[in-house]
Amino acid sequence: MHPTDEIILSLDKINKSYDDRIVLHEISLDVKKGEVVVVIGPSGCGKSTLLRCINGLEPIQNGRIRLNDQTITDVGTDWTKVRQHIGMVFQSYDLFPHMTVIENILLGPIKAQKRSKKEVEAQAELLLERVGLLDRKTAYPRQLSGGQKQRVAIIRALCMNPDIMLFDEVTASLDPEMVREVLDVMLQLAKSGMTMIIVTHEMAFAKAVADRVLFMDNGYIVESGKPEEFFNAPQTQRAKKFLNQFKFSENREDEA
Amino acid sequence: MLDTGIKVLFEGNNITRLLDGLWVTTRIALISVILSVFFGTIIGIGWSSRFRIIHVFARFYLEIMRIMPILVLLFLFYFGLTRIAHINLNAEMASIIVFTLWGTAEMSDLVRGALTSLPKHQKESGLALGLKSFDIYFYILVPQAIRRLLPATINLTTRIIKSTSLVVLIGVVELLKVGQQIIETASLLRNQTAAFWVYAVIFLLYFIICYPISQLSFHLEKKWQS
Amino acid sequence: MITLKKKILSLVLSFIASVGMGFSHQTNAAGFNTLDQIKKNGKIRIGVFSDKPPFGYVDSNGKNQGYDVYLAKRLGKDLFGDENKVEFVLVEAASRSEFLLSDKVDIILANFTKTPERAEKVDFAKPYMKVSLGIVSPDNAKITSIDQLKGKKLIVNKGTTAEIYFTKNYPDIKLLKYDQNTETFNALLDGRGAALAHDNTLVFAWATQNKGFTVGINSIGDHDMIAPAVAKGNTTLLNWINDEITKLDKERFFHADYEATLKPIYGDKVDPESVVIEGDTH
Ligand SMILES: Nc1ncnc2c1ncn2[C@@H]1O[C@H](COP(=O)(O)OP(=O)(O)O)[C@@H](O)[C@H]1O
Ligand SMILES: [Mg+2]
Repeated sequence: MHPTDEIILSLDKINKSYDDRIVLHEISLDVKKGEVVVVIGPSGCGKSTLLRCINGLEPIQNGRIRLNDQTITDVGTDWTKVRQHIGMVFQSYDLFPHMTVIENILLGPIKAQKRSKKEVEAQAELLLERVGLLDRKTAYPRQLSGGQKQRVAIIRALCMNPDIMLFDEVTASLDPEMVREVLDVMLQLAKSGMTMIIVTHEMAFAKAVADRVLFMDNGYIVESGKPEEFFNAPQTQRAKKFLNQFKFSENREDEA
Repeated sequence: MLDTGIKVLFEGNNITRLLDGLWVTTRIALISVILSVFFGTIIGIGWSSRFRIIHVFARFYLEIMRIMPILVLLFLFYFGLTRIAHINLNAEMASIIVFTLWGTAEMSDLVRGALTSLPKHQKESGLALGLKSFDIYFYILVPQAIRRLLPATINLTTRIIKSTSLVVLIGVVELLKVGQQIIETASLLRNQTAAFWVYAVIFLLYFIICYPISQLSFHLEKKWQS
Repeated sequence: MITLKKKILSLVLSFIASVGMGFSHQTNAAGFNTLDQIKKNGKIRIGVFSDKPPFGYVDSNGKNQGYDVYLAKRLGKDLFGDENKVEFVLVEAASRSEFLLSDKVDIILANFTKTPERAEKVDFAKPYMKVSLGIVSPDNAKITSIDQLKGKKLIVNKGTTAEIYFTKNYPDIKLLKYDQNTETFNALLDGRGAALAHDNTLVFAWATQNKGFTVGINSIGDHDMIAPAVAKGNTTLLNWINDEITKLDKERFFHADYEATLKPIYGDKVDPESVVIEGDTH
């Protein structure tokens, strides 16, 4: 599916600093409905912070964020409402360990969105089925592998029927053999037309899934472009250097 | 020798008196523990929040409770309150209040510790789902904290049960006191071995109430692990 | 699990209900009940011991008994015509004054020795019993006068009246001192001293429980008076108790009390006059 022209999320010159240190400089970004934006960049450049600012886990100092024509950075924003439209999956396994898979998934829709259990459970089962985890419905997180946990975490976010999904290096903590199963789910999701912002170090995946790639460094968006353009012909020295590192490590892996 | 001692147990209503004593002990301890867990959790949550004023209050409260001997508190609530404020509590009520105040303080510290030791992303996952603060605490953080707290809570419970023997000093007749009454009366009647048997029974009765508690905790720990 | 929850719930509810009834007693501003108020309440609260036989204890049927209790029941009977109108409050030695000061009881009848310090906090009525020193010794080397102790060892408890009395008045009698009551009495059983001096009420009871030992000297030293106590300033109640004791003296009530409660323990060898106060002592 191709992105539409409708802009769903819009960041307008946002600034974020911790104490005196500025970690996001005048970031502007428009995301269209159905668009998949992949954010890459060296560690510590501000990728996670960017995602966390979008769903209000971190307050910003300057600028404006709009979601569905609502300015969500205004004072008095009810973040609990806003976050129901933004799904987020973190790098660390963040399932609630004392709840079963299905309980994890149902919590948000039932408690935050006040939907009926029956309806959500039906939806959850459908989604679990799709990622091949229906039989683990009543398992506890400690009984799942890392890849299964992340797939459940994705479904937990999806069941809120969000307008946009944010992924923060969701495969970074996984054993290599489990990366694939999680990326496949995200790829499927992208195909189904979900609007997504994905932070990842998986370059091949980025190339495959992205409508647009953002390269960040030191709190700035340094480059932004179509994946084939960016990966084949990066404009800036910094992006070239960054991508070279991956070539090196990929080559090394091939040799091994 | 020993068999004359054991007869003391079956004289008059001695067995029922001991059981009544046990019930008083259990009642005071159980009610205090339940209330302590309830209030301690609330204060512990406040303490783990970002409201500084609650930190100061909770810290202060805990220190006071740790510094004050239980006996002083018992006297304060049983005798002192009447003299100062003309509030005349009965002895058992005063005991429950004191043990609840003490247990609440200890419990709030445990809850705070458990909550702050939970990984930060647990709370953030809850936030990201659009849950309200209350729901995050109620469904996500507190249940996990309680699981971590279980051993310490059981420990606190047995500490409270053991400390209930102090309430005799404000005239509550609990298990140990009934035992003393029986022994003293028996020794008056030249029965020197009564003490052995009475203490044996008291030991058994304490075991009977403490054993299910440790079994329950064992059971829950196993259940939460599976 | 559900039934457990229900049980806990009902326990908590019953607690909350009992908070309402937790106020055992309405306290007035004066901090005590006058005689009239007690009459109006229809009961009198008397503080007694529950584990100090034969003065105040609870028997195997859970009933209060003893020399002090015998008097308490009589007071109830004279006040209300029914000894069951007495509400016994079980007190501990260390906090007896507190029970009066905080209006938990109307009268303390718990072998309360009258001392100047205590008299500053509470009001003592006329005494109904006295305690002095008694000396217990083995039957085969019975000590019946102080003179016999010269050059011998006397066993005492540290810090008691006995130690103070002998140190002051008979410095030439050697004292063997122990901390605990049991240690002290064991020393006598082991023959480490010729005799043992302690409160006579205590040695009387001990001697009857230990064959081969007798109290050879029933009463020496100063008498400590044991009296009912009421809250400071509760004169109506105090006067009533004093009138009662005077009246009871006349009918030799305390001898009857002795017969009923102490004699079964002390036996025939003890002279009632060494503990009972009656008639001319007042
Ligand atoms: N809570 C915080 N307090 C202070 N500094 C932080 C905090 N979180 C992140 N930072 C800093 O902000 C910068 C951006 O961090 P982050 O967004 O996590 O980078 P990335 O996800 O791109 O690796 C880093 O230099 C990091 O040290
Ligand atoms: Mg990051």
